[in-house]
Amino acid sequence: MKKKMKKTMQLLAATVCTALINISPLYAADDDSALESYNRAMFQFNAAADYFVIKPIAKGYRAVTNEFVRERVHDFYANLKEPISTINHTLQGDFAESGKSLGRFFINTTLGLLGTFDVASGWGLKNNRTDFDHTLAKWCVPDGPFFILPLLGPSTPRTTAGFVADSLATPNYWADYYASFNQDWERYSFYYGIAALGFISLREEKIEFLDNLTANSVDPYATIKSAFIQNRLKIGACGKTEDNAQNAGYDFDFDDMGDE
Amino acid sequence: MKKLFAILFSVFFLNAHNASAAIDSVKAENFIKNVTFQGIEQLVNADISQSERNARFTKLFNQDLDLDFIGKFVLGRYWRTASDTQRKEFIDVYRKLNIQTWSERFNEFKGKHFEFVGTEKSQQDDQIFVVTQVPMQEGAPASVKWRVKENGGQMRIVDIIIENVSLALTARSEYTAFVQKAPDGVDGLIKNLKSKLK
Repeated sequence: MKKKMKKTMQLLAATVCTALINISPLYAADDDSALESYNRAMFQFNAAADYFVIKPIAKGYRAVTNEFVRERVHDFYANLKEPISTINHTLQGDFAESGKSLGRFFINTTLGLLGTFDVASGWGLKNNRTDFDHTLAKWCVPDGPFFILPLLGPSTPRTTAGFVADSLATPNYWADYYASFNQDWERYSFYYGIAALGFISLREEKIEFLDNLTANSVDPYATIKSAFIQNRLKIGACGKTEDNAQNAGYDFDFDDMGDE
Repeated sequence: MKKLFAILFSVFFLNAHNASAAIDSVKAENFIKNVTFQGIEQLVNADISQSERNARFTKLFNQDLDLDFIGKFVLGRYWRTASDTQRKEFIDVYRKLNIQTWSERFNEFKGKHFEFVGTEKSQQDDQIFVVTQVPMQEGAPASVKWRVKENGGQMRIVDIIIENVSLALTARSEYTAFVQKAPDGVDGLIKNLKSKLK
């Protein structure tokens, strides 16, 4: 029965993703020029939004906090994501890891003062993060083509499906939902603010990396796309990992150098 | 008979060729151990002035990375059609920009250390992968693979693959995408790279 259920879930997930790939002309199988020009336009839009709004806020956040505070904020958000790992380890059939992340969530939420300190790591319960994207990969759902999401950046249909599902598994999402259901707008804004700070905290951690990349790349879009796709090969469908280092096409052979 | 002889001869020749050219895995691993020791202990973690740091980095970079070789690869198909002057200019600016980029980014390894996992064969006899990992504060350790090439007894790095992302391949995607769009091709690329030098 359990097996049948798992099979049905896998089939369902595969169907949803295939449908997602087929319905939109943007999800063409090949990296055609329509997808490429959409991606480049959205990349430009994101870069402008980042330059004028997001990065200045992230820099402001850095200016008014010290490293200790930022670490506490980082740990707080990592802890909020712990239930996502618990659920997904279960969906992947990895119950030991699922128990571990559940244990981490309880320990860090209580003794770790609402997750602002990662006490569990010190007790040997190391962070074992996973998400719905990895679950879909384990269920043999293919990744799909590379595309740029507004504000969120590089994605594939599978990462997007994973992101949406994981958002639904965040305590903050439900707190926000509950507040709007009760028309408690003060609370609603508070939880919204928590989500926004999480986004800014993530951006702050990447300031140097992205500055360096945009300053030294002649085509930041091409650089990010290439790196993102290579990295994604690690999380192939059905748990297949493509070792990029060993990939024959990347071997340094000048007699047979294919077009990029 | 003649055919058999030819097969035997080629088998012998291929084997002999493999045996003589195959890169020594222990030597390659020791080479990377030395590079990471110099890079981490004597550079990133060392208490030295910025100018001394830059000098040490430039020396390490020029000595242990085969930038001529990587440069050819990253220009992709455009290397073949480039003139000698273009090739020379490209390698020169590519080297300078890499030193600039990595002397900044190398600080990301501050406080980190490399664990040596072993080696993996490459499809080329004169190359090998040295497999390392870097323990991270959170989650699984980061995987870093070094592609080492031996040339005339000297070992050099020709690619670094961090979390499955090959730096050489990423650079090739970037540069070929640029040249493809640039109206003045490789010259446009060289000009743009030069403008990035501080």
